[in-house]
Amino acid sequence: MSLTLFALSIALYVAGALASLVLPERAASRVTGVSGVAAAVVGFAAALPVLVGGEPVTATMAGPFPFAHFVFRLDRLSALMVLTVTLLGAAVSLFGATYVEEEYAGRGVRTMGFLVNLFIASMLLVVVADNALWFIVFFEAMSLTSYFLVVFDQDDEAIGAGWLYFLIAHAGTLLVLIGFLLLYGRTGSFDFAGVRGAALPAPLASVVFLLAFFGFGAKAGMVPLHIWLPRAHPAAPSHVSALLSGVMIKIGVFGIVKVGVDLLGATTAWWGVLVLAFGAVSAVLGVIYALAEHDIKRLLAYHSVENIGIILMGVGIGMIGIAAGQPVLAAVGLIAGLYHLLNHAAFKSLLFLGAGSVVSRVHSKDMGHMGGLLHVMPWTALAFLIGALGICAIPPLNGFVSEWFTYQSLFLAALHGSSLLRLLAPLAAVMLGIASALAVMCFVKAFGVTFSGEPRSKKAAAATEVGWPMVSGMGLLAACCVALGIGAPVVAPLMRDVAASLTGHGIAVASGAVVFPGDAATGVLSTPLMAILLIGLAAVPLFIAGLYAGRRPRPRLGAEVWACGYAPDAAMRVSPGGFAEPIKVLFRPLYGVRDWADGRLAALKPWFAGLPAAAARVEQLWDRWLLAPLERDVQAAGVQMQVLQGGDVRVYCLYIVAALVALLAVAIR
Amino acid sequence: MPSFATFLLAVGQAAALLLLAPLASGFCRVLRAKIHTRTGPPLLQDYRDIFKLLKRQEVVPKGAGLIFRATPFVLMATLLTIAMSLPVLTLASPLGAVGNLFTFICLLALVRFFFSLSGIESGSAFAGLGASRETTMGVLMEPAILLALFVAALLAGSSDLGRISLAFASPSKGLIAAEFAATAAIAFAAFVEMGKVPYDMAEAEQELQEGPLTEYSGPGLALLKWSLRLKQMVMASFLIGVFLPYGAAASATAVSLLWAALVFAVKLVIVFAVVALIENSVARNRFFATSRATWIGFGIATLALVFYLVGL
Repeated sequence: MSLTLFALSIALYVAGALASLVLPERAASRVTGVSGVAAAVVGFAAALPVLVGGEPVTATMAGPFPFAHFVFRLDRLSALMVLTVTLLGAAVSLFGATYVEEEYAGRGVRTMGFLVNLFIASMLLVVVADNALWFIVFFEAMSLTSYFLVVFDQDDEAIGAGWLYFLIAHAGTLLVLIGFLLLYGRTGSFDFAGVRGAALPAPLASVVFLLAFFGFGAKAGMVPLHIWLPRAHPAAPSHVSALLSGVMIKIGVFGIVKVGVDLLGATTAWWGVLVLAFGAVSAVLGVIYALAEHDIKRLLAYHSVENIGIILMGVGIGMIGIAAGQPVLAAVGLIAGLYHLLNHAAFKSLLFLGAGSVVSRVHSKDMGHMGGLLHVMPWTALAFLIGALGICAIPPLNGFVSEWFTYQSLFLAALHGSSLLRLLAPLAAVMLGIASALAVMCFVKAFGVTFSGEPRSKKAAAATEVGWPMVSGMGLLAACCVALGIGAPVVAPLMRDVAASLTGHGIAVASGAVVFPGDAATGVLSTPLMAILLIGLAAVPLFIAGLYAGRRPRPRLGAEVWACGYAPDAAMRVSPGGFAEPIKVLFRPLYGVRDWADGRLAALKPWFAGLPAAAARVEQLWDRWLLAPLERDVQAAGVQMQVLQGGDVRVYCLYIVAALVALLAVAIR
Repeated sequence: MPSFATFLLAVGQAAALLLLAPLASGFCRVLRAKIHTRTGPPLLQDYRDIFKLLKRQEVVPKGAGLIFRATPFVLMATLLTIAMSLPVLTLASPLGAVGNLFTFICLLALVRFFFSLSGIESGSAFAGLGASRETTMGVLMEPAILLALFVAALLAGSSDLGRISLAFASPSKGLIAAEFAATAAIAFAAFVEMGKVPYDMAEAEQELQEGPLTEYSGPGLALLKWSLRLKQMVMASFLIGVFLPYGAAASATAVSLLWAALVFAVKLVIVFAVVALIENSVARNRFFATSRATWIGFGIATLALVFYLVGL
């Protein structure tokens, strides 16, 4: 059943993609949207029973390669990924239907629909492929379709960003491919099933893990392999940015979990420590760089680096727990990582869609040109606010729950782990704390400068709310952010089941309306109770404010702000750069690291710039030495043949007779 | 889920902290006047200020929207939630499902988020700068407060605030040095979070016209001032209830609760007296010099971790 539904979902995506190519523009964007939503719903229905029921669905199909069958495997982990992809896919398709029509009219609407649908379909296929070769094929399809979407705008920035993305994505794929080939050399099969049971020598397993970690890490955008991410994600159309940041980089994390935990069994402790360390560094550096950005989409892209770091911290603790044989630690770590993976997908895509709505109105990505949009785009502002609260780990929304579990996993690691971990885990928790505090600052700035106050440009003043498909796309994700937070007692057991399918040990995580990490004595959390309290206790200030409501005059709205007696000016207001200045001053060395690295990268640039020129020259040589002689010879042969073509009908009849005689002679003999 | 009696205790302590918050700040003002050897305002002046403001008209600046209007309500509701979850009179959190140290930190982030956002939204240059400073202080304090709490949780073997206070009330396990260092770091962090001189960075009265409060007036200002006082009260109670819980009730009987309330009140007076003494004996810090002090706070917290690791 799940297999049929999944196949139907893929078929719908592909049908929508093909239909988009041949239909007229208006119909194409509609068809892409409708087929995308329908395919997402079907895909969601395919994965949900597996996530809840837990029985993996497997199937083997013959493909064109005799050495590698297509093996389909929908287990709990891939079901979680399919749910994530389809949830976002639905929101993005809904949003994209009008967004593309408005923003890209006459600029390749049909190609866009084609590429977006294939991009989502390839992501779905990657997570269910249980064969190394097919995994690489779909992984590559995902990289290529997304590459074309990144360079879609065809301006210098997009092409430069696309080129960087292309290089790093393929370097990553190459590492992964080498890892898979090493496994093939050992097990003699491309099927992952063969690897799961195989007893690999420890050095080989470590080499394969390292190759996969850095290969998939490049795709996930962890520091220091993140350099493509803050350039490529903003360059893409906004709904594609949502897909890139929301799900595609999660495929990288999925790859790390799949290879490190599912295939290799996380047998060595330092693997997890490595993942934890890279995660912690990514979390802090990502958000520090985000804070310095004025470009709203680059700011969001850097936050993806941060959140990938947080996810990796949870995954790292999980791997340490598995290696150390501590089932509770392993489960809590993986729950934290996977829960944050789902949560980040929801709020980051929501934020990118919100940013896309704003950019489509203001026609600038610079937050310094926005402002005052809260009044003209109230639904977008509300959606963006919910996303911002989610990403800042503000209770009782979803980001808070997963960061709470991440803190708990670090706490358990510090309490029960090895002596190295007892030192590292508290430091990692501090880094997570700094990252969260910086995220608060960053999103106060992003929301405040973009939506609050008065407009800073004419276009911002003339902005209007986006259409209902775009609003409902954001609304779907905003509802997910709230539900994944307040519904923690329902969601956490599902994450536990996914973790248990990887570690083989289930733990208790929820009872009634509370969640806890394995043991209620470690600490409990009840987001429903918090939500009730936060809303209910607002009655107290409402009562206090109502005390003399009858006796005081009605509020006076629209007053000028106080500027010490001078006439207030829009330029007096806090700017995005000014707001973040304290951090830029206090954390100057960390920005220095990036500038240094950028300098090194710039030094490489002439070499890259020479590459197309060299390619152009090589192409000419190819022409001169191979194609030109060939063409000349064909031409000459043609001239020779003209002799036969005398123009006399009788000669032609003679040819026919001669041909018949020749054929008869062949037939008789 | 909490039983009815503990829920009642939670409501009671939150109500008490809310109602006593202006008294504590009034007490600080009286002490300040005494240190200056002037008469100063009466003890109950802050209540009068609040009720006077409640009768005044509210003036909302141009461009300010929903968040500016909602922030005073959000702040008070959030701080009341924290107040309900702290172990104040008992050695257990009355609302364990909220009384967790990581939850506590994130609820403080909620307060900070809305407080600074309202500053930006008001459109005032001073409020915007105050917002920037408020969030920067959050970043600077986070390492110290998180690490100190983390060590305290490690000492208790649980991240539940009630269990931490229970562990600190009965220091039988040893590790006195670690407990002392963690308490010192938290005391420092609580002082900074109170927003008193020399760390009144966001609400600096002379420098920034009280930062995010600049554009507030009438009932909004009344609620906001009350909330900020409640925050001072919550930070003080947090320090006393979790880290200095000697005298708190181990079992919730009427006699032990009354005794605990008395002890708590005495400790509260001492804490606020010390706070008043500090804030009146130092000058305001330059904002960019604050990071040195917060690094010292982090240093103390690191010391606590080291003490814990070596078992002192």
